Amino acid sequence: MIDQFERLPGIGPRTAQRLALHLLRQPEDQIRAFAEALLAARSQVGQCQTCFHLSAEPLCDICRDGTRCDELLCVVADSRDLLALERTREYKGRYHVLGGLISPMDGIGPDMLQIPSLIQRVDRDGISEVILALTPSVEGDTTSLYLARLLKPFTQVSRIAYGLPVGSELEYADEVTLTRALEGRRAMQ
Amino acid sequence: MTENRLLVIGPNGIGKSNLLEAVELLGSLRSHRASSDQDLIHWEEQRALLRAIADDTEKLELELRRQGGRQARRNGKTLTRQLDLIGPLRCVGFSALDLNLVRGEPALRRQWLDRVVQQLEPIYSDLISRFNKLLRQRSQLWRQWRHIPIHERDSLLDAFDVQMALVSTRIHRRRSRALARLEPLAARWQETLSKHKERLRLDYQPGSQLEGEEEEEPWRLAIETQLLGQRSEEERLGSCRIGPHRDEVRLLLNDSEARRFGSAGQQRTVVLALKLAELELVGELCGEPPLLLLDDVLAELDPGRQLLLLEAVGEKHQCLVSATHLEGFQDEWQQRSQIIEAGSLNRSEEVR
Repeated sequence: MIDQFERLPGIGPRTAQRLALHLLRQPEDQIRAFAEALLAARSQVGQCQTCFHLSAEPLCDICRDGTRCDELLCVVADSRDLLALERTREYKGRYHVLGGLISPMDGIGPDMLQIPSLIQRVDRDGISEVILALTPSVEGDTTSLYLARLLKPFTQVSRIAYGLPVGSELEYADEVTLTRALEGRRAMQ
Repeated sequence: MTENRLLVIGPNGIGKSNLLEAVELLGSLRSHRASSDQDLIHWEEQRALLRAIADDTEKLELELRRQGGRQARRNGKTLTRQLDLIGPLRCVGFSALDLNLVRGEPALRRQWLDRVVQQLEPIYSDLISRFNKLLRQRSQLWRQWRHIPIHERDSLLDAFDVQMALVSTRIHRRRSRALARLEPLAARWQETLSKHKERLRLDYQPGSQLEGEEEEEPWRLAIETQLLGQRSEEERLGSCRIGPHRDEVRLLLNDSEARRFGSAGQQRTVVLALKLAELELVGELCGEPPLLLLDDVLAELDPGRQLLLLEAVGEKHQCLVSATHLEGFQDEWQQRSQIIEAGSLNRSEEVR
């Protein structure tokens, strides 16, 4: 059991041991519920057919939500990023989950991501703006630039801003972040 | 260290360079030898701990772990930014590898220059690692996807061109600025070391064609155009022909290239002049003279140059020197030096 836990992301040997010992002390019905939840999740949760977010239904909650704006589409690398953006409760458009980032070193090309389906969606659904919300790494930037080039003939493309985290002091920000923030500066209204 | 100079003497493989490398790592967070922390940890161990006391009061600690990366502590407090460890233990390394600085491959001169720029501008290491990543991704793209549709490959290459042009411009600018600051210092040292006979110039030959004044926008656009222009050649040869990875620093002695026309002695003097310029510039920048690490290099210099180096370093810089034998040293170097026989050191004895 300890070995199984250790395979999970973010779990080291000590935590794995702690979790295993904790589970051994639980009543049997709780363990059963836990095991069943795992199996159920594995067998039921698939991808939304439209946005490729994790979903138990053919269409995810967000895609079914009629109150959301249909013209705004936010592109993210994976479901984790989508959930992070959802937590803000600020964004009211639709999403599209790529399932990764372009990285020749890892053998991931555009055809292995949900890029053809993205182009199709933009072309078909009358999207007025695509927001690229990808991490500012080499792979993220490559994917952003590639997508921008592909999508520009169809729609307006924007990218989320990079810069200082709210609540941090300017003097403590590292040089890389500050440089990025300077590059992305805005005129005062 | 009780004296200004510490000589570590011992046979091969006893760990002299190891000690100097540890100091370098604590002082600059980089090792001139290993590119990955995995190579710095003993192969049977999960982690390595470096600890030093600088200026009698600053306790510096750096922990390297096989999993989970590095952790830096200063006076017992864990630092959120490892960069904050740099400062009390600034150092300039001079190892036997540097002796090939003039004669060797252009890559050696680029690495030397990079180490200097890094001290000037900490953001530079981010630029370099980003550029290296871009290069690797780009060459993989050629290797793996020769079969994908041309327009798709071209769009991907465009995406790389845009990023590489921007990062290249910044690297070129910083390298050329650093050389401009190093040149007068190196020239003055060369003049002193050659007794006013030789004039040294550092001639920056960027791996991209950069014309006109140093300005970000036109340079970036020029590089983008050049990257696009070399694509068919890149396809044939499998490597990118434009960029800072093809930079060269030509070292000119009285206007002829030291690499090709300099005598062995002249080449060594140039190496010395370059390292002394580095030492001076780093000292100028951080306000106090950095520690000089001489790894197995001093005994490689002839008596005359040893004395010149000693004179130049003077009492200003603390020196950590490693060698296999004491015999190679001039008496002047041995005087007022603390000498440690490596291997005889008691475990509990702390090298301060």
